[in-house]
Amino acid sequence: MDVGSLLSAYMADQETYKSGDVIIEEGTKGDWVYIVLEGQVKVTKRTAVGMLTIDVLKKGSIFGEMALFGKALQARSASVIAADGDVRVGVFETRQLIEDYESLSLELRSVIKALIMGLKESNEKAAALVVAANEKGPKN
Amino acid sequence: MTKNPSEAPPIVSLSYKKGDLIIKEGDYGVSIYKILDGEVSVYREAEGEEIPLATLGTGDIFGERAFLNRADKTRSTSVRAMEDTKVEVWHTARLSREYDEIPPIIKYVIDQVMSRSIRMNNLIVQLTTKQQKEKALREKEDPMASKRRFYRKKVDLSCRYRPVSATSKFNLDGRIKDISLDGLALKVMRRNTIDVSHETGDIFIINTVLPNKKDVELEAEVVSVQQSQMPDDLEVSMLITDISAGSKKSLGFFLMP
Repeated sequence: MDVGSLLSAYMADQETYKSGDVIIEEGTKGDWVYIVLEGQVKVTKRTAVGMLTIDVLKKGSIFGEMALFGKALQARSASVIAADGDVRVGVFETRQLIEDYESLSLELRSVIKALIMGLKESNEKAAALVVAANEKGPKN
Repeated sequence: MTKNPSEAPPIVSLSYKKGDLIIKEGDYGVSIYKILDGEVSVYREAEGEEIPLATLGTGDIFGERAFLNRADKTRSTSVRAMEDTKVEVWHTARLSREYDEIPPIIKYVIDQVMSRSIRMNNLIVQLTTKQQKEKALREKEDPMASKRRFYRKKVDLSCRYRPVSATSKFNLDGRIKDISLDGLALKVMRRNTIDVSHETGDIFIINTVLPNKKDVELEAEVVSVQQSQMPDDLEVSMLITDISAGSKKSLGFFLMP
């Protein structure tokens, strides 16, 4: 099955954003999973030294994936901001996605969860390293 | 051994001693591990250094990446037991069959998360190696540097200082040799210490005028006292314990690169 039609079958909606628009805001609750269809988005985290961009996602990238774990979820762990011109994102039918996910065995789910939670921790670690580098002041 | 090893082989549990390597980066392997008890460090090696990526504890799973990554079945990281650790090892034949049949959309999400995760770990390795190099360089130039959080500026400022308990009329002379927002190095004459204690933990109030003509008053605690290159001088390393908002602002401006 080709990826395009597979994805569109799950797509509930499409949204467009202008450069700088906030698509997901860190700390808020949300249960949508998104895919970048056009343009690029930045993943940013709030830190002691200001807003840090820790990653840039291109066409085809998924974000908001933690919503897979259902509504009991904590707040969004990073912001996602439209980065490059007009950005078009697809919004997935989360309920269906969650149903698919929950049809998996408990073991497989815990394996997938380990990967996704690992990404969240890596994001935090990368942000912390950038903060630490900034606190040490300029290089001579 | 079971007669039919492809059908859900028994879960094996293994014990590792503190310091043991459980997974080695670059090795082939698709087993998944669940920590029953203990703690492990996930790390990568770069330029001979171990770069820590994560610490995992009881209940956490590792080794999932080589299993989920269809393109690369080698271990992308090493995992070492940080204390005596007991793990459950999942042989993945059965999980693997289930994985082959999961909804393609879930697979797509996993693949995307995988590539973000690999990219983030590369970034962490890059940032850590860079910082380790800079730190090594700084320590070579200045052994105290790693203890400091802020940029320290080399200066030569005359100052007056007094023990926190003394009246403001009582003053000693010194020279500030470097200063940051959280500490300073003070050069004083050895004879200053005859009547006034300059021991670790002593607190002084220091007054100086910055090159930009701003008065600064601050309170600082002695961290260490060392012989200076000149026999009559001592070098006192101090941590700033109190500074008024105004003085802090002046100092902050002065320290801006």
